[in-house]
Amino acid sequence: MEKQLHENICEERLFSSIFNKYSKDLHNFLYYKFGDLLNPKDKVQEAFIKLWQNCAKISPDKAKSFVFTTANNLMLNEVAHQKVVLKHQQTKPKHYTNESPEFLMQESEYNTKLQKALANLTNAQREAFMMNRVEGKRFKEIAEILDISTKAVEKRIYGALEKLRKDIKEL
Amino acid sequence: MKREELISKWLDNDLNDQELQAFKNLEDYDDLVKLNAGLQAFKADDYDTSKELENVLSKIKSTKTQTSTHWIKPFMRVAAILAVCFSLYYYTTTLDTTITTAVAQKTTIELPDASRVSLNAQSLLAFNKNHWKKEREVELEGEAFFKVAKGSTFKVITKSGIVTVYGTQFNVKQRDNYFEVICYEGLVGVTHNSQEIKLKPGDSFLIIDGKTIAKEKENRTTPSWLNNESTFKSLPYKTIIAEFERQYGVDITLINIDSTQLFTGSFPHDNLDLALKNIAISLNATYSKTNNTIILKRE
Repeated sequence: MEKQLHENICEERLFSSIFNKYSKDLHNFLYYKFGDLLNPKDKVQEAFIKLWQNCAKISPDKAKSFVFTTANNLMLNEVAHQKVVLKHQQTKPKHYTNESPEFLMQESEYNTKLQKALANLTNAQREAFMMNRVEGKRFKEIAEILDISTKAVEKRIYGALEKLRKDIKEL
Repeated sequence: MKREELISKWLDNDLNDQELQAFKNLEDYDDLVKLNAGLQAFKADDYDTSKELENVLSKIKSTKTQTSTHWIKPFMRVAAILAVCFSLYYYTTTLDTTITTAVAQKTTIELPDASRVSLNAQSLLAFNKNHWKKEREVELEGEAFFKVAKGSTFKVITKSGIVTVYGTQFNVKQRDNYFEVICYEGLVGVTHNSQEIKLKPGDSFLIIDGKTIAKEKENRTTPSWLNNESTFKSLPYKTIIAEFERQYGVDITLINIDSTQLFTGSFPHDNLDLALKNIAISLNATYSKTNNTIILKRE
């Protein structure tokens, strides 16, 4: 009985630690999978509120998969099979001060191509690939987040890379 | 090492110095680096974990009042079911108890206060067990003999009138256009057309077709039908025929017989032939019987 009480997520301290541990990964996962149009931050919030409401029924080791599944379902309820377009961050700090107009144009062209190519990836490919490339996560970490094998992660990421390069060349 | 393997290792940040050198020598190295640099622009929005946690916690606290209303819904459901059950229970327990007798059937009922009612054939008696302590009231259609235990007012409600008593024995007979009350013991009040008539032991009250008919004193202590016999004194013949039909469950057809002439006599309830003789002989009539139909005929 005491052990059960101790492991209850309804305790704010434990709930907060779970939130700190998984919310960022969950947010990024949703962002790369569904894009920013569907408010991944709100979905994270909603999923964790649902976790709190059901805190008595969920053991801490099930909490991660609960919030991931819940948030994913919340997204799927809204997403109408539209293409996911990732936002290009305009506020990117400039590395070069003396860029020629030609170079600038080339770069912006390249970015547009990349954006389209990213949208062409499957959700599964994109979420794994972006977590690896942009968030710098290793295959093993991604495998843990997505609850799949490391080999599957490697396959997805490598597949995504090949597809991107092919698409960019063709576009 | 193969190209694919090198790229995979690069993706997983797992290249050692030697492998890194080999990777840099790949023909598409520049391409990959450019792609990688381009990708960084698509980084997810900054996610401030502690700020988001604060948001979630404040949301949870503000919805707490809402979650406390969660129990109301199931509670309302349970309450609704209980209400239905209770009203059903209340309805069935306050429902009148009704006893009916069919043709040629008699029964005796004990009322909640140990008063006894004998019910003659084809009659209906209804009373309410729950209201019994407050009001001793029975509804009657047909004929019954009451032996009322002493106590508060006892009422017999019929279509033709109300009989009020206090602890007595009396007979009530209410048939089509026929209403008769005979008091055997105690005091009986009969309300008919909003007039009350008091009956002493031996007194009777009789109305046929709306007319009050005077009757001589009754000497018996109980009505004859309780002894399986119907007795009549100067009553229209159709009354006797109607009673006969009730007791034996037969149809009687009269030929050449005046149904309004008065008849005095009796017939038993358990011997059809004897009973037929009793009602036929005094009129010089003959009778014939086929199935459930009896024809009474005077030559």
